[in-house]
Amino acid sequence: MKTKTELIKFNQGLDLESGARLNTFDLMVETYGELNKDKDNAILVCHAFSGNHHAAGKSSDNETLGWWDEVIGPGKAIDINKFFVVCSNNLGGCSGSSGPLSLNPETNELYGKDFPLVSVTDWVNSQKLLSDYLGISKWHMVAGGSLGGMQALQWAISYPNKLKKAGIFATATKSSTQNIAMNEVGREAIRKDKNFMEGDYLNHNVKPKSGLKTARMLGHITYSSEDIMDQKFGRKFQDIKSKIEGTVDYEVENYLQYKGEKFSDTFDANSYILMTKAMDGYDASFSSNGSLEEVMKRIKAKLLVVGFDSDWLYPPKRSKEIQLAAMNVDVQCSCVILKGEQGHDSFLFASDRYVKIIQGFLDSK
Amino acid sequence: MNTSLIHIIKKWIPEKSKVIDFGCGDGSLLKDLIDEKKIRGYGVEIDHNKIQECILKGISVIEKDIDEGIQDFESCNFDVAVMASSIQCLKEPHLALRKMLKLSKQCIVTLPNLGFWKCRLDLAQGRMPVTPNLPSSWYETKNLHLCTIKDFETLCFEEGFVINERFFLNDKGAKSAMASTFPNTFASEGIYLIAKK
Repeated sequence: MKTKTELIKFNQGLDLESGARLNTFDLMVETYGELNKDKDNAILVCHAFSGNHHAAGKSSDNETLGWWDEVIGPGKAIDINKFFVVCSNNLGGCSGSSGPLSLNPETNELYGKDFPLVSVTDWVNSQKLLSDYLGISKWHMVAGGSLGGMQALQWAISYPNKLKKAGIFATATKSSTQNIAMNEVGREAIRKDKNFMEGDYLNHNVKPKSGLKTARMLGHITYSSEDIMDQKFGRKFQDIKSKIEGTVDYEVENYLQYKGEKFSDTFDANSYILMTKAMDGYDASFSSNGSLEEVMKRIKAKLLVVGFDSDWLYPPKRSKEIQLAAMNVDVQCSCVILKGEQGHDSFLFASDRYVKIIQGFLDSK
Repeated sequence: MNTSLIHIIKKWIPEKSKVIDFGCGDGSLLKDLIDEKKIRGYGVEIDHNKIQECILKGISVIEKDIDEGIQDFESCNFDVAVMASSIQCLKEPHLALRKMLKLSKQCIVTLPNLGFWKCRLDLAQGRMPVTPNLPSSWYETKNLHLCTIKDFETLCFEEGFVINERFFLNDKGAKSAMASTFPNTFASEGIYLIAKK
């Protein structure tokens, strides 16, 4: 599948929720399909915590398939024969958009730990500038799962006239106490890595790989579920030849070791901290003193809220909270809870019903 | 749902009101009400295919088992709650009615009448009734709490519900003098608009 990747430079600057300002910033953007003449077939997909702009397909043989390849593509739930799909790497990320790994134009040095705190709302504001750049005055849909779902919800709140529909999957209007707690364990593992150097590791040419690895291993436990781990690995012992670490006994340990190792090769530790802080900090109702209804009143888009029964990170009751708040203030909103084979990660996979529901939602008036 | 039933339900629903349809099926009623009466409507459904049809029609639908979920919508302040042809399938119809009148000012209920003469005839012949609006045999039916028109009105009285409107149809799904005059025997279906006192 054809993908177009482009680094777009924004010179108009962006005021962040934290009070900081980026005078210029870059967004790494990937697109699929073609924008039609009326520019009304555009869909913005927002990535989750460790995702990036590469949402689908692959542009070269060595590249891996995008994170939502099961859902985006020709004839898939989000059909690129009909829609023009856009995905950008979030600010503060480590895949090309401005973040800890980019040069601070003010100092000409790497941002590193000094990249300002970013929020879900900041991301949405940067994506709004992206839509202006692309000449898209109204998205047909803005969609995402997990942290991406928070962005889709915030889009509907921040820019009510700029989207027709919002697909809000496996997410919540705010992170729960438990979500914050899990993220803090991950961050602590990174901070306590001797190579972290209080975030200054880039200047010392080292990487806090072991901290990142531990954080990711914990993450993978939260993205799965008790039942799913039982089914996938059970108590099977790991075959000696393919052990990643000598200490590994069980398959599940080997799996976590593998995933953690891979992640720590590619992800940036400061980005990890920024992204999880943004996730923890999100509360759609913050600007109205905790009244979700008050902020959701602004929404004009039609919402599709999907939760997954095996998701314990953002469980179905979080989806139902969004739907109920929407109903309280007369916002059009459908809510379905699907059987998820993959825990929290279920939103990434194209199960039959999920595909049909997304297609139906996209085709509906 | 037959056309006279839909016609009556539509008549009782005010323009621009906020409506919840429990057991909304494929969302046709809500779609009509949105198009014709500019209502703000939500459907509750459990059947996957019907939910899919609602979404395709652009109807807001919530996947939920009515037996478990009515009270969830208490904060929503509906003008009208509709429960068409499903009250007798619920585990506790009387509690369901109470809950519906907590979340909505008025409530439209339609129910098959077990007192209909053809049902009585079936029973007199020693068989469970099978009629156009009670089409399933005893082992397949989803109906748990069938009642007669008289039973339903007694329940409304005991629960302190006011019957604001009522309408009766014969087994052809049409209005008839006999059904209106002697509903407990000649109505195949009763349609009620009820409210709290």
